Amino acid sequence: MNMKSSLFLPIFGVVCSVMLYSCETEKDIIYGVNDVEVVRPTGSKGYQKSLTEFISIAYADIFDANITQDVLLDLSTPYAAFGDLKYIEDLIIRNFLNDQSAQLPSNTVMRANVDLFITETYNRFYNRNPNEFELWYMKDLIDSNADITPELVYYSMMTSNEYRYY
Amino acid sequence: MKRRSFITKAATATAGAMVLPYILPSGRLFAATGTRIVDHVVFCLFAGGVRNLESMQKVDGNLMPNMLLGSESISSDIASAIPSLGTIGSQRLQEQGTLFREFRFAQGPTGHFSGHSTALTGVYNLVDINIRTRPQSPTIFEYYRKHTDPSTSALNAWWISNSLGPYPALNFSSHPDYGALYGANFIQPASIINQTSYNVLGNPKAFAASEREKVAQMRAFFDENFAGQVNLADAGVFNPESDAAQIDSFIQTAFAEANSGVYNNPWGTGFMTGDMMNMFAAEKIMQRFTPELMVVNMQDVDVCHGNFTQYAAALHVADYALAHLWQTIQSTPGMANNTILIAAPEHGRNLQPNTVVDQYGRYAIDHTSDATSREIFCLVVGPTGKVVQNQNITQQMGESIDIVPTIAKILGFHDQVGGMLPGQPLNQAFV
Repeated sequence: MNMKSSLFLPIFGVVCSVMLYSCETEKDIIYGVNDVEVVRPTGSKGYQKSLTEFISIAYADIFDANITQDVLLDLSTPYAAFGDLKYIEDLIIRNFLNDQSAQLPSNTVMRANVDLFITETYNRFYNRNPNEFELWYMKDLIDSNADITPELVYYSMMTSNEYRYY
Repeated sequence: MKRRSFITKAATATAGAMVLPYILPSGRLFAATGTRIVDHVVFCLFAGGVRNLESMQKVDGNLMPNMLLGSESISSDIASAIPSLGTIGSQRLQEQGTLFREFRFAQGPTGHFSGHSTALTGVYNLVDINIRTRPQSPTIFEYYRKHTDPSTSALNAWWISNSLGPYPALNFSSHPDYGALYGANFIQPASIINQTSYNVLGNPKAFAASEREKVAQMRAFFDENFAGQVNLADAGVFNPESDAAQIDSFIQTAFAEANSGVYNNPWGTGFMTGDMMNMFAAEKIMQRFTPELMVVNMQDVDVCHGNFTQYAAALHVADYALAHLWQTIQSTPGMANNTILIAAPEHGRNLQPNTVVDQYGRYAIDHTSDATSREIFCLVVGPTGKVVQNQNITQQMGESIDIVPTIAKILGFHDQVGGMLPGQPLNQAFV
């Protein structure tokens, strides 16, 4: 047996093996993921509330009632007469909150179901549900601070930047 | 060689140490370097359209006896309609400064907003004006706040207007390099300091400090989640919490004072016009905040569109109110002898009247950009040794666009902004 004969069989075997396995039909495997809608937690709020919109909505949010034309006019004029809107809005909200007829949930109600309170409050003021992080953060904050009241939460949200937009 | 290297490095380090302090929080490389003439400027827009014929030329007598020297009697046919207010102090205002008798609102339409805008930006409006938008050129407030070192809060800059409409928009511009961040606090006192506003805004909830801390924490969380969707200018001028607390205290005090009648007849004149109310509120702001830059206007004389005699009466009242403002400046600690008062109409009125006749047989007058409606005056009043006293400039000199650079010069930042302004400081007024 010469040198060439001694190499033929191993090489032939390797070639046959490659051909055998490479001819196997490849399976179509498709990996998929569920559709996830990626949005900002705050939604897309590109419009600033007008002067009358801000007052009317704030009034409805606090008093669960529509504002009268007289009160709207009484508030609109000073609103337009000061250049720092954040300050004048803060003043309006603090006057609303100090009104005896303001409709605020009690501390007991808030703490009986904090998740529900947060969700309802976000929908009331921001017209959206809180995302999971917001829900966790606010629940943790309320649970760990006995002195946080519904009034403070309302005041904070109504004087936040998001409340000025829709 | 080592010695040379050491000297080079030392010189570099020294130069760096000298330059670094001038890189300011506002992003500017250099601080304002100009010398101030005084620390406070009050600019009174003696507005509504005042004709030089009735003011400087006294064709109906000296209707402005607090500003102008002279005892020319008021025309007999209208004299009974002019309130008798008298004079304040022993010196007339023109004696306490420099009077440019032939000032000019040289270009642009002679409209009130156009005139106000020019006076506050130092730029004529030569294209159509959209009164629903802010001026495109920076206002004097923005120049002042951006180019003053150390930087100042909006409590140092006030725009006090006697009316709403488009005027609230003049506290800052839409200029991309300036804007709300450098704007002035705007207030229209007549619409906020009154019984009606007190009824709806005079009883705010007072939160304890610990409650405010919690609110601040929650609000910061909400705002952080909404970051990127807020346009700073949407909320107008910004006052940090400590400044807003001072404003709140001022407003609540004003409510209480208005409620108790303080604003009804504060000067003992027996009546209170819109102009007087605005000037009185300006005095209150001055006394509370001693702002470095305050602009206040009067516009009651614009009644001249329909009643000339009432115009003459309003001119007389505005003259008294201006003198009262100056008197209050001189009795306000920090501002006395450290303030320059500038007074100028935004524009004049036509030579020819319209067809409306009042009960005294006088024809009303409009302002539609004729040559006479461009003739105005400018008074610069200030301390001896700073402002040239008793100077009466009779030749045509100075324009509306010169007021902004003049204020910049007084407050020491003209070197920073002069290149952006078409006008020049009224150097003739200063020692």
